[in-house]
Amino acid sequence: MSISREEVLHIARLAELDVVEEALPTLVEQMSRILDYVAQLNRLPTGETARPYVAGPDAITLRADEVKPWPLAFGPKQLAPAFRDGFFVVPRLEAFDDGGAA
Amino acid sequence: MTEATDAVQSARAAADRIAKAKRLNALLTPIKELRKSLVQQAQTVHPGGVLYGMPVAIKDNICTLEFETSCGSKILEGYRSPFDATAVAKLKAAGALVAGKTNCDEFGMGSSTEHSAYGRTIHPTEKTRVPGGSSGGSAALVAAGAVPAALGSETGGSVRQPASFCGIVGIKPTYGRVSRYGLVAFGSSLDQIGVFGRSVHDAARVLSVISGRDPKDATCEGRDPLRLPTVPENLDGFVIGIPKEYFPPDLDPGVRRACERAIRVLKELGAAVREVSLPHTPYAVPTYYIVAPAEASSNLARYDGVRYGPRFDGAADVAALYRSTRGQGFGAEVRRRILIGTYVLSSGYYDAYYRKAQQVRALLAQDFRNVFDRGVDLVFTPTTPTTAFKAGEKLADPVQMYLSDIFVCTANLVGLPAMSMPIGRVKGLPVGGQFIGQTFLEDEMLEAAYALERAVPAVEEA
Repeated sequence: MSISREEVLHIARLAELDVVEEALPTLVEQMSRILDYVAQLNRLPTGETARPYVAGPDAITLRADEVKPWPLAFGPKQLAPAFRDGFFVVPRLEAFDDGGAA
Repeated sequence: MTEATDAVQSARAAADRIAKAKRLNALLTPIKELRKSLVQQAQTVHPGGVLYGMPVAIKDNICTLEFETSCGSKILEGYRSPFDATAVAKLKAAGALVAGKTNCDEFGMGSSTEHSAYGRTIHPTEKTRVPGGSSGGSAALVAAGAVPAALGSETGGSVRQPASFCGIVGIKPTYGRVSRYGLVAFGSSLDQIGVFGRSVHDAARVLSVISGRDPKDATCEGRDPLRLPTVPENLDGFVIGIPKEYFPPDLDPGVRRACERAIRVLKELGAAVREVSLPHTPYAVPTYYIVAPAEASSNLARYDGVRYGPRFDGAADVAALYRSTRGQGFGAEVRRRILIGTYVLSSGYYDAYYRKAQQVRALLAQDFRNVFDRGVDLVFTPTTPTTAFKAGEKLADPVQMYLSDIFVCTANLVGLPAMSMPIGRVKGLPVGGQFIGQTFLEDEMLEAAYALERAVPAVEEA
Protein backbone atom coordinates (compact mmCIF):
# COMPACT_ATOMS: atom_id res chain seq x y z
CA MET A 1 0.00 0.00 0.00
CA SER A 2 1.25 3.48 -0.66
CA ILE A 3 -0.01 6.99 -0.21
CA SER A 4 -0.38 9.50 -3.05
CA ARG A 5 0.83 13.09 -3.28
CA GLU A 6 -2.80 14.28 -3.17
CA GLU A 7 -3.53 12.24 -0.05
CA VAL A 8 -0.50 13.73 1.71
CA LEU A 9 -1.67 17.23 0.83
CA HIS A 10 -5.19 16.40 2.06
CA ILE A 11 -3.85 15.03 5.36
CA ALA A 12 -1.62 18.10 5.72
CA ARG A 13 -4.70 20.32 5.40
CA LEU A 14 -6.49 18.27 8.06
CA ALA A 15 -3.43 18.62 10.31
CA GLU A 16 -3.21 22.37 9.59
CA LEU A 17 0.35 22.03 8.43
CA ASP A 18 2.00 23.71 5.45
CA VAL A 19 4.15 21.35 3.42
CA VAL A 20 6.61 22.95 1.01
CA GLU A 21 6.59 21.68 -2.57
CA GLU A 22 10.26 20.60 -2.54
CA ALA A 23 9.71 18.36 0.51
CA LEU A 24 6.71 16.54 -0.97
CA PRO A 25 8.38 13.73 -3.00
CA THR A 26 10.50 12.61 -0.01
CA LEU A 27 7.53 12.92 2.35
CA VAL A 28 5.31 10.82 0.06
CA GLU A 29 8.02 8.15 -0.22
CA GLN A 30 8.74 8.06 3.54
CA MET A 31 5.08 8.06 4.58
CA SER A 32 4.36 5.23 2.14
CA ARG A 33 7.24 3.23 3.59
CA ILE A 34 6.06 3.82 7.17
CA LEU A 35 2.44 2.92 6.37
CA ASP A 36 3.59 -0.23 4.53
CA TYR A 37 5.66 -1.15 7.57
CA VAL A 38 2.90 -0.67 10.14
CA ALA A 39 0.37 -2.48 7.91
CA GLN A 40 1.99 -5.78 8.99
CA LEU A 41 -0.34 -5.63 12.02
CA ASN A 42 -3.15 -6.65 9.69
CA ARG A 43 -1.52 -10.09 9.41
CA LEU A 44 -2.21 -10.64 13.09
CA PRO A 45 -5.73 -11.97 13.77
CA THR A 46 -7.33 -10.07 16.64
CA GLY A 47 -11.02 -10.39 15.75
CA GLU A 48 -13.71 -7.79 16.07
CA THR A 49 -14.26 -8.35 19.76
CA ALA A 50 -10.65 -8.25 21.03
CA ARG A 51 -10.29 -5.92 23.98
CA PRO A 52 -8.31 -2.76 23.20
CA TYR A 53 -5.58 -1.79 25.65
CA VAL A 54 -6.42 0.71 28.36
CA ALA A 55 -3.55 3.00 29.35
CA GLY A 56 -2.21 2.60 32.85
CA PRO A 57 -2.06 -0.28 35.28
CA ASP A 58 -5.39 -1.80 36.33
CA ALA A 59 -4.74 -0.52 39.85
CA ILE A 60 -5.02 3.11 38.79
CA THR A 61 -8.21 4.80 39.86
CA LEU A 62 -8.74 8.18 38.30
CA ARG A 63 -9.43 11.08 40.62
CA ALA A 64 -12.69 12.97 40.27
CA ASP A 65 -12.64 15.25 37.23
CA GLU A 66 -13.09 18.50 39.12
CA VAL A 67 -11.91 21.87 37.91
CA LYS A 68 -9.74 23.54 40.55
CA PRO A 69 -7.65 26.66 40.30
CA TRP A 70 -3.90 26.01 40.22
CA PRO A 71 -2.05 29.23 40.96
CA LEU A 72 0.57 30.18 38.39
CA ALA A 73 3.96 31.50 39.44
CA PHE A 74 3.26 34.52 37.27
CA GLY A 75 0.10 35.74 35.58
CA PRO A 76 -1.03 36.14 31.97
CA LYS A 77 0.25 39.70 31.84
CA GLN A 78 3.81 38.46 32.29
CA LEU A 79 3.18 35.46 30.08
CA ALA A 80 1.72 37.12 27.00
CA PRO A 81 3.72 38.93 24.33
CA ALA A 82 1.12 41.70 24.57
CA PHE A 83 -1.71 42.14 27.08
CA ARG A 84 -4.18 45.03 27.43
CA ASP A 85 -7.26 45.59 29.59
CA GLY A 86 -7.48 41.92 30.52
CA PHE A 87 -7.12 40.69 26.92
CA PHE A 88 -4.30 39.05 24.94
CA VAL A 89 -3.39 41.30 22.03
CA VAL A 90 -2.93 39.36 18.79
CA PRO A 91 -1.61 40.66 15.46
CA ARG A 92 -3.96 42.14 12.89
CA LEU A 93 -4.72 39.65 10.14
CA GLU A 94 -4.68 40.73 6.50
CA ALA A 95 -8.35 39.75 6.24
CA PHE A 96 -9.20 42.73 8.46
CA ASP A 97 -6.88 45.24 6.82
CA ASP A 98 -9.81 47.02 5.12
CA GLY A 99 -10.47 48.95 8.30
CA GLY A 100 -11.98 46.22 10.49
CA ALA A 101 -11.38 46.05 14.23
CA ALA A 102 -7.93 45.10 15.55
CA MET B 1 32.26 26.53 56.49
CA THR B 2 28.45 26.76 56.42
CA GLU B 3 26.19 24.36 54.56
CA ALA B 4 25.12 27.15 52.19
CA THR B 5 28.78 27.81 51.32
CA ASP B 6 29.22 24.10 50.61
CA ALA B 7 26.23 24.14 48.30
CA VAL B 8 27.48 27.25 46.48
CA GLN B 9 30.90 25.68 45.95
CA SER B 10 29.24 22.51 44.70
CA ALA B 11 27.09 24.61 42.33
CA ARG B 12 30.13 26.45 40.94
CA ALA B 13 32.00 23.18 40.45
CA ALA B 14 28.98 21.72 38.63
CA ALA B 15 28.82 24.78 36.35
CA ASP B 16 32.54 24.32 35.56
CA ARG B 17 32.07 20.65 34.72
CA ILE B 18 29.05 21.41 32.52
CA ALA B 19 31.01 24.18 30.73
CA LYS B 20 33.79 21.67 29.97
CA ALA B 21 31.25 19.39 28.30
CA LYS B 22 30.13 22.18 25.92
CA ARG B 23 31.52 20.37 22.85
CA LEU B 24 28.78 17.73 23.27
CA ASN B 25 26.00 20.28 22.61
CA ALA B 26 24.13 18.49 25.38
CA LEU B 27 22.87 21.59 27.21
CA LEU B 28 20.53 24.19 25.70
CA THR B 29 20.75 26.68 28.59
CA PRO B 30 23.48 29.31 28.06
CA ILE B 31 26.29 28.57 30.52
CA LYS B 32 26.34 32.12 31.92
CA GLU B 33 22.63 31.92 32.78
CA LEU B 34 23.13 28.44 34.23
CA ARG B 35 26.06 29.50 36.43
CA LYS B 36 24.12 32.45 37.85
CA SER B 37 21.02 30.37 38.51
CA LEU B 38 22.92 27.48 40.12
CA VAL B 39 24.59 29.84 42.59
CA GLN B 40 21.25 31.52 43.39
CA GLN B 41 19.58 28.15 43.92
CA ALA B 42 22.45 26.99 46.14
CA GLN B 43 22.12 30.07 48.35
CA THR B 44 18.47 29.38 49.08
CA VAL B 45 18.19 25.59 48.95
CA HIS B 46 17.01 23.89 52.13
CA PRO B 47 19.88 21.90 53.65
CA GLY B 48 17.74 19.08 55.08
CA GLY B 49 16.83 17.40 51.78
CA VAL B 50 18.03 13.94 50.73
CA LEU B 51 19.43 15.38 47.48
CA TYR B 52 20.90 18.50 49.12
CA GLY B 53 23.17 20.31 46.66
CA MET B 54 22.93 17.64 43.94
CA PRO B 55 22.86 19.20 40.45
CA VAL B 56 20.28 17.45 38.28
CA ALA B 57 19.96 18.37 34.58
CA ILE B 58 16.45 18.36 33.11
CA LYS B 59 15.35 17.34 29.62
CA ASP B 60 13.99 20.30 27.69
CA ASN B 61 10.46 18.90 27.47
CA ILE B 62 9.99 19.08 31.26
CA CYS B 63 8.76 22.44 32.52
CA THR B 64 10.94 24.49 34.86
CA LEU B 65 10.51 27.99 36.20
CA GLU B 66 14.24 28.67 35.98
CA PHE B 67 14.94 28.13 32.30
CA GLU B 68 13.21 28.12 28.94
CA THR B 69 11.36 24.97 27.87
CA SER B 70 11.62 24.63 24.09
CA CYS B 71 11.26 20.83 23.68
CA GLY B 72 14.15 21.10 21.21
CA SER B 73 11.76 22.85 18.83
CA LYS B 74 11.64 26.19 17.05
CA ILE B 75 7.91 26.33 17.70
CA LEU B 76 8.53 26.80 21.44
CA GLU B 77 11.67 28.91 21.14
CA GLY B 78 11.77 31.36 24.05
CA TYR B 79 8.87 29.73 25.91
CA ARG B 80 9.14 29.98 29.68
CA SER B 81 6.75 27.88 31.72
CA PRO B 82 4.79 29.60 34.49
CA PHE B 83 5.11 26.49 36.70
CA ASP B 84 7.49 23.69 37.59
CA ALA B 85 6.71 20.12 36.59
CA THR B 86 5.81 18.13 39.70
CA ALA B 87 8.97 16.02 39.28
CA VAL B 88 11.06 19.21 39.26
CA ALA B 89 9.21 20.66 42.25
CA LYS B 90 9.90 17.42 44.17
CA LEU B 91 13.60 17.56 43.24
CA LYS B 92 13.81 21.13 44.54
CA ALA B 93 11.99 20.21 47.75
CA ALA B 94 14.61 17.48 48.28
CA GLY B 95 17.42 20.04 47.95
CA ALA B 96 18.52 19.31 44.36
CA LEU B 97 19.69 22.10 42.04
CA VAL B 98 18.13 22.41 38.58
CA ALA B 99 21.23 22.21 36.39
CA GLY B 100 19.86 23.52 33.09
CA LYS B 101 17.83 22.09 30.23
CA THR B 102 19.22 19.36 28.02
CA ASN B 103 19.07 18.87 24.28
CA CYS B 104 16.65 16.30 22.88
CA ASP B 105 14.95 15.19 19.72
CA GLU B 106 12.15 17.65 19.03
CA PHE B 107 9.20 16.88 21.38
CA GLY B 108 10.93 13.56 22.18
CA MET B 109 10.49 12.26 18.62
CA GLY B 110 13.68 10.49 17.63
CA SER B 111 16.28 7.95 18.67
CA SER B 112 19.53 9.84 18.13
CA THR B 113 19.13 13.48 19.30
CA GLU B 114 19.76 14.48 15.69
CA HIS B 115 16.20 15.83 15.33
CA SER B 116 16.72 18.88 17.54
CA ALA B 117 16.23 22.39 16.15
CA TYR B 118 19.38 23.32 18.12
CA GLY B 119 21.80 20.88 16.51
CA ARG B 120 22.73 17.31 17.28
CA THR B 121 24.22 16.11 20.57
CA ILE B 122 27.57 14.34 20.28
CA HIS B 123 28.26 10.94 21.85
CA PRO B 124 30.36 11.49 25.01
CA THR B 125 33.33 9.33 23.91
CA GLU B 126 32.97 8.81 20.11
CA LYS B 127 32.31 12.10 18.38
CA THR B 128 31.20 10.52 15.09
CA ARG B 129 28.42 8.63 16.86
CA VAL B 130 25.05 9.52 18.37
CA PRO B 131 24.29 9.39 22.10
CA GLY B 132 20.87 7.87 21.37
CA GLY B 133 17.61 9.65 21.96
CA SER B 134 15.42 11.28 22.44
CA SER B 135 16.91 12.17 25.86
CA GLY B 136 20.45 12.21 24.41
CA GLY B 137 21.50 15.50 26.02
CA SER B 138 20.70 14.25 29.54
CA ALA B 139 22.49 10.94 28.90
CA ALA B 140 25.60 12.59 27.41
CA LEU B 141 25.93 15.06 30.33
CA VAL B 142 25.71 12.29 32.92
CA ALA B 143 28.10 10.02 30.99
CA ALA B 144 30.60 12.89 30.68
CA GLY B 145 30.57 13.30 34.46
CA ALA B 146 29.14 16.83 34.28
CA VAL B 147 26.19 15.97 36.55
CA PRO B 148 25.56 12.90 38.71
CA ALA B 149 21.97 12.51 37.53
CA ALA B 150 19.47 13.90 35.03
CA LEU B 151 15.80 13.63 34.16
CA GLY B 152 14.71 12.37 30.76
CA SER B 153 11.39 11.22 29.41
CA GLU B 154 10.25 8.07 27.67
CA THR B 155 7.52 7.50 25.14
CA GLY B 156 9.23 4.56 23.42
CA GLY B 157 12.55 3.93 25.17
CA SER B 158 13.98 7.44 25.14
CA VAL B 159 15.79 7.01 28.48
CA ARG B 160 16.94 3.38 28.25
CA GLN B 161 18.24 3.54 24.66
CA PRO B 162 20.54 6.57 25.24
CA ALA B 163 21.57 5.14 28.64
CA SER B 164 22.68 2.01 26.79
CA PHE B 165 24.55 3.95 24.08
CA CYS B 166 26.33 6.17 26.65
CA GLY B 167 27.17 3.48 29.23
CA ILE B 168 25.09 4.73 32.16
CA VAL B 169 21.97 3.69 34.08
CA GLY B 170 18.54 4.74 32.82
CA ILE B 171 15.24 3.89 34.51
CA LYS B 172 11.68 4.11 33.18
CA PRO B 173 9.20 3.64 36.02
CA THR B 174 5.78 2.00 35.84
CA TYR B 175 3.21 4.17 34.05
CA GLY B 176 1.62 6.08 36.92
CA ARG B 177 4.62 5.93 39.29
CA VAL B 178 5.80 9.50 38.49
CA SER B 179 3.54 12.47 37.80
CA ARG B 180 3.42 13.66 34.18
CA TYR B 181 2.28 17.13 35.24
CA GLY B 182 4.62 19.54 33.48
CA LEU B 183 5.98 16.93 31.07
CA VAL B 184 5.08 18.31 27.66
CA ALA B 185 2.72 15.71 26.20
CA PHE B 186 3.76 13.58 23.22
CA GLY B 187 1.92 10.24 23.56
CA SER B 188 -0.13 10.50 26.73
CA SER B 189 -0.78 6.78 27.18
CA LEU B 190 2.96 6.07 26.85
CA ASP B 191 4.83 9.06 28.34
CA GLN B 192 6.72 8.77 31.63
CA ILE B 193 9.50 10.81 33.17
CA GLY B 194 12.63 8.70 33.69
CA VAL B 195 15.99 9.08 35.38
CA PHE B 196 19.66 8.81 34.40
CA GLY B 197 22.51 8.16 36.83
CA ARG B 198 26.13 7.04 36.72
CA SER B 199 25.23 4.23 39.13
CA VAL B 200 22.07 2.30 39.98
CA HIS B 201 21.97 4.02 43.37
CA ASP B 202 22.23 7.56 41.96
CA ALA B 203 19.41 6.91 39.50
CA ALA B 204 17.28 5.07 42.05
CA ARG B 205 17.45 7.74 44.73
CA VAL B 206 16.40 10.44 42.25
CA LEU B 207 13.56 8.20 41.09
CA SER B 208 12.49 7.70 44.70
CA VAL B 209 12.30 11.48 45.20
CA ILE B 210 10.22 12.23 42.09
CA SER B 211 7.83 9.28 42.52
CA GLY B 212 4.52 9.28 44.39
CA ARG B 213 1.08 10.72 44.21
CA ASP B 214 0.17 14.04 42.60
CA PRO B 215 -3.33 15.49 42.57
CA LYS B 216 -2.42 17.43 39.42
CA ASP B 217 -2.09 14.25 37.31
CA ALA B 218 -5.12 11.96 37.18
CA THR B 219 -3.00 9.10 35.79
CA CYS B 220 -0.51 9.25 38.66
CA GLU B 221 -1.16 6.38 41.06
CA GLY B 222 -1.94 7.40 44.64
CA ARG B 223 1.03 5.54 46.16
CA ASP B 224 3.74 6.60 48.53
CA PRO B 225 7.14 7.35 46.97
CA LEU B 226 9.25 4.35 45.95
CA ARG B 227 11.20 2.88 48.87
CA LEU B 228 14.74 1.98 47.93
CA PRO B 229 15.75 -1.64 48.49
CA THR B 230 18.98 -2.58 50.23
CA VAL B 231 21.83 -3.98 48.19
CA PRO B 232 21.35 -7.77 48.27
CA GLU B 233 24.18 -10.23 49.02
CA ASN B 234 23.01 -12.47 46.19
CA LEU B 235 20.01 -13.18 43.98
CA ASP B 236 18.89 -16.41 45.64
CA GLY B 237 15.18 -16.92 45.03
CA PHE B 238 15.01 -14.63 41.98
CA VAL B 239 13.64 -16.12 38.76
CA ILE B 240 14.79 -14.24 35.67
CA GLY B 241 13.22 -14.86 32.27
CA ILE B 242 15.22 -14.59 29.04
CA PRO B 243 12.79 -14.00 26.15
CA LYS B 244 14.01 -15.74 23.01
CA GLU B 245 12.44 -13.07 20.76
CA TYR B 246 14.97 -10.52 22.09
CA PHE B 247 17.91 -12.61 20.84
CA PRO B 248 17.24 -12.83 17.08
CA PRO B 249 19.85 -14.33 14.71
CA ASP B 250 20.84 -10.86 13.43
CA LEU B 251 21.56 -9.46 16.92
CA ASP B 252 24.98 -7.77 16.96
CA PRO B 253 27.46 -10.53 18.03
CA GLY B 254 29.16 -8.23 20.55
CA VAL B 255 25.84 -7.31 22.17
CA ARG B 256 24.96 -11.01 22.32
CA ARG B 257 28.30 -11.85 24.00
CA ALA B 258 27.84 -9.10 26.60
CA CYS B 259 24.30 -10.29 27.41
CA GLU B 260 25.37 -13.93 27.66
CA ARG B 261 28.15 -12.91 30.04
CA ALA B 262 25.66 -10.92 32.16
CA ILE B 263 23.30 -13.92 32.24
CA ARG B 264 26.19 -16.11 33.50
CA VAL B 265 26.82 -13.53 36.24
CA LEU B 266 23.12 -13.55 37.21
CA LYS B 267 23.30 -17.35 37.56
CA GLU B 268 26.49 -17.12 39.63
CA LEU B 269 24.67 -14.68 41.90
CA GLY B 270 22.07 -17.36 42.60
CA ALA B 271 19.23 -16.39 40.25
CA ALA B 272 17.30 -19.09 38.45
CA VAL B 273 17.39 -18.24 34.75
CA ARG B 274 14.85 -19.67 32.32
CA GLU B 275 14.00 -19.13 28.68
CA VAL B 276 10.58 -17.57 28.13
CA SER B 277 8.57 -16.42 25.15
CA LEU B 278 6.93 -13.06 24.43
CA PRO B 279 5.45 -14.07 21.07
CA HIS B 280 4.00 -10.74 19.97
CA THR B 281 7.31 -8.86 20.34
CA PRO B 282 7.84 -8.47 16.54
CA TYR B 283 4.63 -6.41 16.44
CA ALA B 284 5.73 -3.89 19.07
CA VAL B 285 7.45 -1.38 16.77
CA PRO B 286 4.62 -1.19 14.20
CA THR B 287 2.12 -0.87 17.07
CA TYR B 288 4.18 1.90 18.62
CA TYR B 289 4.42 3.78 15.31
CA ILE B 290 0.64 3.89 15.07
CA VAL B 291 -0.20 4.73 18.69
CA ALA B 292 2.52 7.32 19.33
CA PRO B 293 1.98 9.44 16.16
CA ALA B 294 -1.80 9.25 16.64
CA GLU B 295 -1.55 10.65 20.16
CA ALA B 296 1.13 13.14 19.07
CA SER B 297 -1.04 14.52 16.28
CA SER B 298 -3.68 15.33 18.87
CA ASN B 299 -1.33 16.62 21.59
CA LEU B 300 0.61 18.86 19.21
CA ALA B 301 -2.53 20.46 17.77
CA ARG B 302 -2.20 23.16 20.44
CA TYR B 303 0.93 24.67 18.83
CA ASP B 304 -0.60 27.13 16.41
CA GLY B 305 1.27 30.38 16.86
CA VAL B 306 -1.44 31.92 19.02
CA ARG B 307 -0.93 30.44 22.47
CA TYR B 308 2.74 29.45 22.63
CA GLY B 309 6.06 30.40 21.10
CA PRO B 310 6.89 32.40 18.01
CA ARG B 311 4.32 33.19 15.35
CA PHE B 312 5.18 33.12 11.65
CA ASP B 313 3.26 36.15 10.42
CA GLY B 314 2.10 37.25 6.99
CA ALA B 315 -0.88 34.91 6.83
CA ALA B 316 -4.10 36.00 5.13
CA ASP B 317 -6.44 34.35 7.61
CA VAL B 318 -6.40 32.40 10.85
CA ALA B 319 -6.21 28.97 9.20
CA ALA B 320 -3.24 30.14 7.10
CA LEU B 321 -1.58 31.51 10.25
CA TYR B 322 -1.89 28.07 11.90
CA ARG B 323 -0.58 26.24 8.83
CA SER B 324 2.30 28.60 8.31
CA THR B 325 3.39 28.61 11.96
CA ARG B 326 3.16 24.83 12.26
CA GLY B 327 4.79 24.21 8.87
CA GLN B 328 7.77 26.42 9.69
CA GLY B 329 7.92 25.80 13.43
CA PHE B 330 8.02 21.98 13.45
CA GLY B 331 10.98 20.03 12.13
CA ALA B 332 10.80 17.27 9.51
CA GLU B 333 10.42 14.30 11.89
CA VAL B 334 7.64 15.97 13.90
CA ARG B 335 5.80 17.00 10.71
CA ARG B 336 6.06 13.43 9.43
CA ARG B 337 4.68 11.97 12.66
CA ILE B 338 1.82 14.48 12.84
CA LEU B 339 0.86 13.52 9.27
CA ILE B 340 1.05 9.78 10.00
CA GLY B 341 -0.99 10.31 13.18
CA THR B 342 -3.62 12.36 11.38
CA TYR B 343 -3.80 9.70 8.65
CA VAL B 344 -4.31 6.73 11.03
CA LEU B 345 -6.99 8.61 12.98
CA SER B 346 -8.83 9.85 9.92
CA SER B 347 -12.25 8.65 8.89
CA GLY B 348 -12.16 5.18 7.35
CA TYR B 349 -8.70 4.31 8.72
CA TYR B 350 -9.26 4.50 12.50
CA ASP B 351 -10.37 0.86 12.88
CA ALA B 352 -7.72 -0.50 10.52
CA TYR B 353 -4.87 1.28 12.29
CA TYR B 354 -5.49 2.80 15.70
CA ARG B 355 -8.08 0.36 17.03
CA LYS B 356 -6.06 -2.56 15.67
CA ALA B 357 -2.89 -1.23 17.33
CA GLN B 358 -4.68 -0.89 20.68
CA GLN B 359 -5.82 -4.52 20.38
CA VAL B 360 -2.25 -5.67 19.66
CA ARG B 361 -1.14 -3.66 22.68
CA ALA B 362 -3.47 -5.78 24.81
CA LEU B 363 -1.84 -8.92 23.35
CA LEU B 364 1.63 -7.59 24.22
CA ALA B 365 0.47 -6.95 27.80
CA GLN B 366 -0.96 -10.48 27.98
CA ASP B 367 2.43 -11.90 26.86
CA PHE B 368 4.06 -10.37 29.96
CA ARG B 369 1.23 -11.47 32.27
CA ASN B 370 1.67 -15.05 31.03
CA VAL B 371 5.38 -14.95 31.84
CA PHE B 372 5.00 -13.33 35.26
CA ASP B 373 2.09 -15.63 36.19
CA ARG B 374 4.44 -18.60 35.74
CA GLY B 375 6.72 -17.45 38.53
CA VAL B 376 9.17 -15.23 36.65
CA ASP B 377 10.12 -12.12 38.65
CA LEU B 378 11.97 -10.15 35.97
CA VAL B 379 12.85 -10.31 32.31
CA PHE B 380 16.42 -9.66 31.11
CA THR B 381 17.23 -8.60 27.51
CA PRO B 382 19.67 -6.50 25.52
CA THR B 383 18.58 -2.84 25.61
CA THR B 384 19.42 -2.20 21.96
CA PRO B 385 20.26 -4.46 19.01
CA THR B 386 23.57 -2.60 18.37
CA THR B 387 25.93 -0.21 20.10
CA ALA B 388 25.73 3.55 19.31
CA PHE B 389 25.41 4.06 15.56
CA LYS B 390 27.09 6.75 13.46
CA ALA B 391 25.56 10.21 13.12
CA GLY B 392 23.55 10.52 9.91
CA GLU B 393 23.50 6.74 9.38
CA LYS B 394 19.73 6.31 9.82
CA LEU B 395 18.43 9.79 9.04
CA ALA B 396 17.25 9.04 5.51
CA ASP B 397 15.31 5.93 6.49
CA PRO B 398 12.84 6.54 9.34
CA VAL B 399 11.89 2.87 9.64
CA GLN B 400 15.54 1.87 10.24
CA MET B 401 15.73 4.58 12.92
CA TYR B 402 12.51 3.28 14.52
CA LEU B 403 13.93 -0.26 14.64
CA SER B 404 16.72 0.85 16.98
CA ASP B 405 13.94 0.99 19.63
CA ILE B 406 12.78 -2.57 19.00
CA PHE B 407 13.71 -3.89 22.48
CA VAL B 408 12.64 -0.82 24.47
CA CYS B 409 9.28 0.36 23.15
CA THR B 410 7.30 -2.64 24.44
CA ALA B 411 7.67 -1.58 28.10
CA ASN B 412 6.04 1.76 27.21
CA LEU B 413 3.24 0.08 25.28
CA VAL B 414 2.36 -2.10 28.29
CA GLY B 415 3.24 0.37 31.08
CA LEU B 416 5.82 -1.83 32.84
CA PRO B 417 8.92 -0.57 34.70
CA ALA B 418 12.22 -1.18 32.91
CA MET B 419 15.83 -0.07 33.14
CA SER B 420 19.09 -0.22 31.25
CA MET B 421 22.50 -0.64 32.85
CA PRO B 422 26.00 -1.03 31.43
CA ILE B 423 27.11 -4.67 31.10
CA GLY B 424 30.23 -4.47 28.92
CA ARG B 425 31.82 -2.89 25.87
CA VAL B 426 32.23 -3.80 22.23
CA LYS B 427 35.09 -2.08 20.39
CA GLY B 428 35.10 0.48 23.19
CA LEU B 429 31.39 1.28 22.91
CA PRO B 430 29.05 0.58 25.84
CA VAL B 431 26.46 -2.22 25.76
CA GLY B 432 23.32 -1.98 27.88
CA GLY B 433 21.41 -4.82 29.51
CA GLN B 434 17.72 -4.32 30.22
CA PHE B 435 15.56 -5.53 33.09
CA ILE B 436 11.78 -5.37 32.64
CA GLY B 437 9.88 -5.72 35.91
CA GLN B 438 6.33 -6.15 37.10
CA THR B 439 3.88 -3.31 37.62
CA PHE B 440 4.97 -1.14 40.58
CA LEU B 441 7.69 -3.62 41.57
CA GLU B 442 10.62 -1.32 40.76
CA ASP B 443 12.21 -2.36 44.06
CA GLU B 444 12.69 -5.96 42.84
CA MET B 445 14.16 -4.69 39.57
CA LEU B 446 16.55 -2.42 41.46
CA GLU B 447 17.66 -5.26 43.76
CA ALA B 448 18.69 -7.35 40.75
CA ALA B 449 20.40 -4.32 39.18
CA TYR B 450 22.35 -3.55 42.37
CA ALA B 451 23.63 -7.13 42.46
CA LEU B 452 24.49 -7.27 38.76
CA GLU B 453 26.21 -3.87 38.88
CA ARG B 454 28.60 -5.13 41.59
CA ALA B 455 29.49 -8.31 39.72
CA VAL B 456 29.46 -7.62 35.98
CA PRO B 457 32.64 -6.24 34.34
CA ALA B 458 30.77 -3.27 32.84
CA VAL B 459 33.76 -1.47 31.32
CA GLU B 460 35.50 -4.58 29.93
CA GLU B 461 35.22 -5.85 26.35
CA ALA B 462 32.67 -8.63 26.03
